[in-house]
Amino acid sequence: MNADLYRKTTHIKLIFKQIGGLLIVLGYAMIVPMLVALIYTEVYSALGFLLSGMISLGLGYTSYKGIRSIEDISGHHALVIAALGWFAVVVMGAVPYTLIAFITPEEAAMRFIPDGADFGSSLWYFKNPLHAIFDSMSGFTTTGLSMAIHEPTIGKGLLFYRHYTQLLGGAGFVVLTLALLKQSSGKIAYLLYGSESTGERLQSTILETARSIWKVYIGLTVFSFVFLVVGTLIILPDYSFTENIFDSINHAMAGQSTGGFSTLDDSIAGYQSVWMEALYLVPMILGALSLTFYFRVIQERKFSYFWKDIQTRSILILTIAGSIVLSMMLMATGYISEPFRVGTFQFVSALTTTGWQTTDVHQWDSGSILFISLIGMVIGGAYGSTVGGIKMIRVLLIFKGLFWQINNIFSSDRSVKVVKFNGKRLLPEEMNKDIALVATFVFFYLVLLMTGTLISYYTMGEGFELKHALFESASAQGTVGLSCGISHPGMSPGLEITYILQMWAGRLEIIPVLVLFRSVFAGTKPKIV
Amino acid sequence: MKIIIAGSGEVGYYLAQLLEPKYRDIVMIDAEKEKLRLVEKELGIATVTGDSTSYTTLMDAGITKADLLISVTSNEAANLTTCIIGKKLGAKFTIARISNMEYLKSRSILDLKDLGIDDLISPESLAAREIKKVLKTPVITETMDISGGALSLFGVNLDEDAGIINKAISETSSMIPDNSFMVVAVHRKSETIIPNGKTVLQRGDQLYFVSTPDKKEKVLEYAGKKSIQIKNVMIIGGSRTGKYTAMKLSELYNVKLIEKDPDRCNYLAKLIPKVQIVNGDGTDIHLLNEEHLAQYDAIISVTGNSETNIFTSMISKEAGVKKTIAMVDNLGLVDYLHKIGIDTFLNKKIAAANFIFQTIHKGSELSHLYGINAEIHEFFVNEKSRLIHKSIKELSIPENAIFIGVVRNNKGFITLGNFKLEAGDSALVLTLPENIHKISSIFK
Repeated sequence: MNADLYRKTTHIKLIFKQIGGLLIVLGYAMIVPMLVALIYTEVYSALGFLLSGMISLGLGYTSYKGIRSIEDISGHHALVIAALGWFAVVVMGAVPYTLIAFITPEEAAMRFIPDGADFGSSLWYFKNPLHAIFDSMSGFTTTGLSMAIHEPTIGKGLLFYRHYTQLLGGAGFVVLTLALLKQSSGKIAYLLYGSESTGERLQSTILETARSIWKVYIGLTVFSFVFLVVGTLIILPDYSFTENIFDSINHAMAGQSTGGFSTLDDSIAGYQSVWMEALYLVPMILGALSLTFYFRVIQERKFSYFWKDIQTRSILILTIAGSIVLSMMLMATGYISEPFRVGTFQFVSALTTTGWQTTDVHQWDSGSILFISLIGMVIGGAYGSTVGGIKMIRVLLIFKGLFWQINNIFSSDRSVKVVKFNGKRLLPEEMNKDIALVATFVFFYLVLLMTGTLISYYTMGEGFELKHALFESASAQGTVGLSCGISHPGMSPGLEITYILQMWAGRLEIIPVLVLFRSVFAGTKPKIV
Repeated sequence: MKIIIAGSGEVGYYLAQLLEPKYRDIVMIDAEKEKLRLVEKELGIATVTGDSTSYTTLMDAGITKADLLISVTSNEAANLTTCIIGKKLGAKFTIARISNMEYLKSRSILDLKDLGIDDLISPESLAAREIKKVLKTPVITETMDISGGALSLFGVNLDEDAGIINKAISETSSMIPDNSFMVVAVHRKSETIIPNGKTVLQRGDQLYFVSTPDKKEKVLEYAGKKSIQIKNVMIIGGSRTGKYTAMKLSELYNVKLIEKDPDRCNYLAKLIPKVQIVNGDGTDIHLLNEEHLAQYDAIISVTGNSETNIFTSMISKEAGVKKTIAMVDNLGLVDYLHKIGIDTFLNKKIAAANFIFQTIHKGSELSHLYGINAEIHEFFVNEKSRLIHKSIKELSIPENAIFIGVVRNNKGFITLGNFKLEAGDSALVLTLPENIHKISSIFK
């Protein structure tokens, strides 16, 4: 009788053991922001990170060491682990926000506010755990939407932590865990790796693959950091050097992960320099290219891949073409000042799903908002990078499929209708299979986007139109982070939860989330639908 | 010279047949006793039954004293292994038949010579190379490079409207500018004639020319051939030969390949760029029409079955296709096939054998031609030779043999009677087989 129950509990144990692993990594990761808080003598923040880290480690070790290893894992487990694991990490990652908001005394927080400002510290918003989860989700999924209205007023420690979560979430928290914790079996590692949509296998073992991805990722982040420090020194020689270092570290993490948090109150616009905006295009575009692609370029030392790889090439072309089109559209409105500066920066920010914002999108016309939402934020950057959205390779595949279908009508019945895609020739059945998978995903993506848009439309409050609902929803689901003002501490909790779910589903490419729901509500038995 | 041939398939058998009269000491290895019994009976050479990758088998065949080991089984891996082991056991020179072109093309990654395999041969790829050459000048029926391309030999069919018909060769000399080419053989009614000035050319003759490579066009003019431009090519049969042919031709022409086996079709479709693959039977007239057979300039039939190849070539000729090439195993059919209009034949055995001949004796025997009974021989004139400063007419070349040219400093010359030989020349003679001993003694 109890075979079924036994099976169920082993599955749950297996899932919890793996989630425990994620929490251990998160716990140790808290050491870094704690040190940063100490450097800036923010004692309460440091204490907050210490406590949060200990909680995370406690829970993590209990379930990771407490549950003995189980080898019997299948595909749906891995997807459930990814979905649930991400949620657990986000919730545990929200603890420091709330904890620090509660333990920091008023006087200590006064230090964070610039002299003569007419606003208080945004830290207090995080006394509401939902806001904390919102920002934590926004961080780990590399979105960049925030409940902190004036970001710098939450203290350097927490400010660093926010960017740091984007770095951790960017290349995949599960992949990070795989790189750091030795898995008991190759099969578990293999299935977990596949569950987070990071890209193809690069090395013979998953452990090596995960490490390679993280090495490339960290390498690029360091490159961005140096690039930004030097660039800022040249463009703004009077800017404080220590601030430059702090900004560049954080922005390099937020840029490479295409996260889009910023240490400045007005994001990159805070520098008030067109050259700084041009400088920041580089980390965004670097972040939107596939990590596995970089790995190949580095390994084979062939820079021609930047043009030969169809996905990279398409992103570079779309970056330029889209920037021009958006700029023209903004110019056509007649009331947007500096349309080319704004258009270029915002389109790149949207397509790369970074989310650094230099303008008030709220006042844009419907055409421009529709364009940046659908062409920029819904498409997104490269598969295998840290971006959100449908991702370029899928868009290309669908277009290829369209041309293929039309062309097939002209060839004879008996000919083998092979199709060339990204340097590979695919047989009809392979192509059909790929198209079916991609089309299903895109359809789900759009359904979820529409649902989010409708919920936004009915709950977003005064002063917004349908175009804003679409924009904000596309931004959350595409893990972009551009905002037209709907995301705000005063927003309705229902909509806040909707965006949290959209960010979560968007980061994991929906399927793991659907598998989780299916497992919870309909069990794990195979069914004919 | 002791030769060991592993594999008594088509290529192996044909090689043994060609090499036997000259070398006698040939041992054939094969795993199938029945096949070897036939070899012994037909060719009279020694055989060893067994796996050619086994030490014992190779030892039994006398590998320690072998001058040449040729492994031409249909299994590539076995050929490579046989040669590697054979070389270590004492064979002086080894040749392996391969099908993976990487071994030939990517020598910079790993040269198989380092492992003890001295030369590689892929009969299918050689056949594909021949097809490519023929299609470049489609009016010729057969072509062959001599001495690495210093001279070319090729065959042309004489149609009724050619101006040289019913004329003796000496009468046509005004049409040959600067001695740039000559007629070296005439194939008429199943008989090979070595021509002299008095030979009168007739309709339906198959003429063989030797020319310097740049004068090919002049030859075609002489033979009254209008050049055909090839654009669309249909290949029937996706065997190895079909595959290599499609790969070689896809850069130059619009290529369609028809293959029966759906799995093979899928494999080819994934492998070869730009070639349209059609799944179907090449003998199905309905299918061929559906694929617009008549619109093709050339049809290449390379299925594993000679009869199928002949049949589709006939259908194609009927439909008005200008050029047909068929892979035919049975060379006895060649005369008959010329009559029914199939102009070019392909035989991978001959392609392979010619290649191996050229490899193993650079400097004496060269090449066999399709369908005609003549051989080309190359003789080296060294410093001590008594032939130095002698003119060709002093050599007293026998009848049924013809002095076709000289290669001097890698440049080919078509020679007339008063051409004088020098040290370092390579002299080329085409002869019917019965004269070979006489010719050899002239150059000794």
